[in-house]
Amino acid sequence: MAKKNTYNSVAVKATAADRVFNICVTIFMILLLIVLIVPIWSTIALSFRPPAYIGSYLEGMFLAPWKWSAGAYKSLLGNQGFLNSFWNSIKIMVMGVVTALFLTIPMAYALSVKGVPGKKWITIFIMIPYVFNVGVVPTYLLISKLGLTNHLPSVFMPVALSTYNMIIMRQFFEGIPNDLRESAFIDGCNDIQIMFKIILPLSKAIIMTIGLYYAVAFWNDYMRSLLYLQKSSLKPLPLLLRDILIGTSMNDNLEANAFGTAPIEAIKAASVFISAIPMIIAYPFIQKYFTKGTLAGSVKG
Amino acid sequence: MWHYAGGVMQMISTRNYALSLEIEELKKQLKECGESEKETVSAALKQKKKDLRKAEGRALLAEINRHKFIYLLLFIPVVYYFIFKYIPLWNGQIAFREFISLKRTGITGGKWVGLANFKTFIQSYYFWSLIRNTLMYSFGKLLVSLPLSIILAIAIYECTHKALRKVVQTLSYLPHFLSWVIMYGILLSLLSPSEGIFNDIIKLFGGTPRGFLTDTKAFPFIVILSDAWKEIGWSAIIFIAALMGIDGSLFEAAIVEGANSWQRVRYITLPSIKPVIVIVLLMKIGTILDAGFNQLYMLYSPAVYSVGDIIDTWVYRGTIQGQFSLATAAGIFKGVIGMTLLFISNWASRKFTESSLF
Amino acid sequence: MKKTLIVLLVALIASTAVFAQGATEAKSEGPMTITMLYAATQTEVGSLPDDWAGYQILRDKLGIDLQLQMLPSNANDQDVAVRTMAAADELPDFITVSRTVWADLVKQGMFADVTDDFAKMPERSKVMFGPSSKAFTTYNGRIYGFATPSAYAGNEGLLVRKDWLDKLGLKAPTTLDELYDVLYAFTYNDPDGNGKNDTYGYGAFVEDYVAYEAYPGRRFEPLMGAFGVEGTWNMSADNFGLRIHDPAYYDWMVFFKKIIDNGLIDPNWQSYKKDDFRAAWKQGKFGVFREQNSAYASENNYSPFDKNFPDGGFIVVDAPVGPTGKNSVGPLVEGFRIFAINADVSAEKHAKIVEMFEWMSYGEGYMLCGYGMEGVNYILDANGLPQSDASLGDMGYNKAGGQRYIQLRNSSFNYNNATETALRYPAYTTAVSQKRMSAGDVLIEMQGKTWTRTPGQNSMPSPASTDVYTFYQQGIAEFLNGKTALTEANWKAFVEQFDKIGGLEWEKAGYEYAKENGYLL
Repeated sequence: MAKKNTYNSVAVKATAADRVFNICVTIFMILLLIVLIVPIWSTIALSFRPPAYIGSYLEGMFLAPWKWSAGAYKSLLGNQGFLNSFWNSIKIMVMGVVTALFLTIPMAYALSVKGVPGKKWITIFIMIPYVFNVGVVPTYLLISKLGLTNHLPSVFMPVALSTYNMIIMRQFFEGIPNDLRESAFIDGCNDIQIMFKIILPLSKAIIMTIGLYYAVAFWNDYMRSLLYLQKSSLKPLPLLLRDILIGTSMNDNLEANAFGTAPIEAIKAASVFISAIPMIIAYPFIQKYFTKGTLAGSVKG
Repeated sequence: MWHYAGGVMQMISTRNYALSLEIEELKKQLKECGESEKETVSAALKQKKKDLRKAEGRALLAEINRHKFIYLLLFIPVVYYFIFKYIPLWNGQIAFREFISLKRTGITGGKWVGLANFKTFIQSYYFWSLIRNTLMYSFGKLLVSLPLSIILAIAIYECTHKALRKVVQTLSYLPHFLSWVIMYGILLSLLSPSEGIFNDIIKLFGGTPRGFLTDTKAFPFIVILSDAWKEIGWSAIIFIAALMGIDGSLFEAAIVEGANSWQRVRYITLPSIKPVIVIVLLMKIGTILDAGFNQLYMLYSPAVYSVGDIIDTWVYRGTIQGQFSLATAAGIFKGVIGMTLLFISNWASRKFTESSLF
Repeated sequence: MKKTLIVLLVALIASTAVFAQGATEAKSEGPMTITMLYAATQTEVGSLPDDWAGYQILRDKLGIDLQLQMLPSNANDQDVAVRTMAAADELPDFITVSRTVWADLVKQGMFADVTDDFAKMPERSKVMFGPSSKAFTTYNGRIYGFATPSAYAGNEGLLVRKDWLDKLGLKAPTTLDELYDVLYAFTYNDPDGNGKNDTYGYGAFVEDYVAYEAYPGRRFEPLMGAFGVEGTWNMSADNFGLRIHDPAYYDWMVFFKKIIDNGLIDPNWQSYKKDDFRAAWKQGKFGVFREQNSAYASENNYSPFDKNFPDGGFIVVDAPVGPTGKNSVGPLVEGFRIFAINADVSAEKHAKIVEMFEWMSYGEGYMLCGYGMEGVNYILDANGLPQSDASLGDMGYNKAGGQRYIQLRNSSFNYNNATETALRYPAYTTAVSQKRMSAGDVLIEMQGKTWTRTPGQNSMPSPASTDVYTFYQQGIAEFLNGKTALTEANWKAFVEQFDKIGGLEWEKAGYEYAKENGYLL
């Protein structure tokens, strides 16, 4: 991040304490790297585990890649419903994130403005359902009455405005200096214009982060899809993956199963990676918006 | 136009202030004056108080008018809350009724059975043990994972090795996507008494292998640490986003004044992201009785029920055996506790840190 | 004027007649829509395809437009789905439902009385409905659902590594003492000859909650049987009760503890999940365990073991005889799948559903549901049996493409005829060791071992509170792990406390249920 130099330009020579600090940070990062690599790598190795494999997990981690087998990926990607389910999940995620941000950003901004009469009561009003979780049936009754069952929006609508995400976003909006808002008033902007012209351009990092939180939640949703989408053609990916996992481990009574080419552990592990693909692709793009001092620059300008 | 409105606000509040001063003055007079004057003074006081109330009402209206676009922005989300959050909450009363179905009894048609389900839960033989375990895990995870994720965020922010920073930032959030089924496999391979790495080390030093996952002493540590292992990178994202907003000029000023890196973290970085930390903490306290169902359901076994059974796992075992209404009762119990703790900690936070939810 | 009035009147009458006729015609000739919630044979391959010939035949011959809704794959998910649908009045006309959920919903009047419908199903009655099946869905003296067999009874057995026995010069164990010696030798005498002390005698894992096989559960039943404490309940009329109340249960605990303390059981038994356990025996970690016939012997399940141990193999032995001469592989439980009719459907639709269900159980309907379409998913061999021939390619009923056509198999199969068994579990030659294997033969062998006949165990009531069973499991586990010392005094104190928090109540409820339904032996 090049911007770091903006304040290093005035830097005096690094002191001993600074050097110790840097060493500590580096050591911490390296230790963390080692600790994080273990589960990720062992899952990768596991997902390529060949059928009829003897040996422990640990030995499996060091299995030579030329002995790997892609059987698990083949059986997952080769499933007849895979593409359809993948596409359903993409649709749910995209529609969901758009709806979620459309609901979350205005509320977060509105509640971040100081001196709005009734703000406290609105906040308590939204905290009550956050704290009370009444379970599956009460929400099902609502979705059923609204006629949303067997429509993809039923998966994200009940959680399209997450109180947690909204409050976090509000906190970031509150951190934007009030002078900016005041000077915009002077220029004749109303609150809606201020939100679009001033707040949003300064909040790319948090909007991306909250968008990611929503995307992951919608992408991985299992319970709501299970209840609200009874048509097989609407089945999203997590549901299909779960069916495959359970089906593979319950094949006791079947004379044959379609997934005989890979051990169940490998299929479990491979399904993790397949379902994380969009997130693995998306995260580096989101990181681009994580640049230092975005706010400071605009205040000066 | 808004500038003008601001000016009006200024005027109104100045006038209200003047009014309140006059009231204070009259109150003083009322105490000091003799019996004869009392009547006229108190009448004047009454009149002034009325004026103030009116003026305050006008001020409030003006304030509301000034924020009308804010209310416009709030309109759709509030309607959303009514439909998607409050109607289910209203439907939640079926837990207190002999509800059968929408057609047969409707939401409100079933006979009120009151708190019978609560009783089953509160009078449970394991009630206190469940509360203790639940709190142990949620506080334990908060105490371990939250500081670690903050440290991770700061380390990523401060790291001078570009490549290392990139790799750690990209890898750290990945374990979040590993399900507990997968994590359980990994833990078993590390901790198994017959072939786990930890027991291999113990055997190397001549010890006897232990089944950590079925050991009541080791189990809580496994739960809390494995949760940190899986989640800190993910939780750090929000703090990294917060760090990106810090004004660089603060650092420049600090460097000019001779502050070293440690001092910069202590006096600039941490205070800058403190409001976000406080809010995350408050939100977690609101759901403090959710101690991680998926993880514990995967990791525990009867051998460690005494330290591994939490409210949610207990309820789940009940529902498998057909006791469905328990879930809603326990959910409401958790909500009451969460709400209470939330109000207390929000009050404390407003008092001591100046940031709060409401 | 008069003329026009008359013309109008005539026209009116005529048109009414025409319309009325049209209406009756629509009623009698247009197919009647029946929605059905079903448990698919294999959820992950997708729903029954639209070109399945059965749809058209149902329309043409029975006047039924069948619309299917698939249940999720996991049993708990299925329960949640059915319960929520019932709460919202969205239950389909014909529903596959678990016993637990059925028991709740039947009390709420969600299901139709089908007591008089059995007479209309002669073919199905021939192979499926016995007294125990009818008792399974009886409530207040009437029957509210068709319970059809869901699995083979007695399809599990005690397996012993034959090659290990041979290598160590041991014979197949028949008594508990002999079994103990075998377990000991398998643990300490290096049966796989790799020079490492890395094998165990017994292997097991703890199954999920099952009403009739309480903790530590199914995988230990053959050992518990030697003490006469297999299963949750003793169903005999004069000695009815929870097994845990049997004095012999303590002897079993002492024996079990001895096995654990001497390291004769894979110490992961409390941590393994089902897949871990199955991976473990395929990797030769232990030599004695209880396993299901197909999980052991069908081609895909056996092949990893075959690759790992081409010279290895198992024998099915009878459960070892204990000190008092008792033995049992476990309680023999007939599993049922319930098909219930929605109480809200009209009498006409009710009759149609019964007709359709009967159609599925024999002849054309049976073949369509069980094996798919002739010439597409199966061909008939010389004996008139359906075969998934190589010429059918991917569309054979047991191949990836053809499996979708047999998704309704659960509503037609009956699990008690030899033809089905043979077709389900065909014999094959193992890939590496070139042995002839057949899960069907193994099934017959397993069924021939000593089982405890206990009708009704799978519908016995659960304890009123989760605490009771939690206390049961936790207490036993803590004795076994040494957290509580296993002494007679401690055991007595444990059982007394168990009774106090609801154990006695549970036993009483069980007794009343068993008596009411005639399950006492």
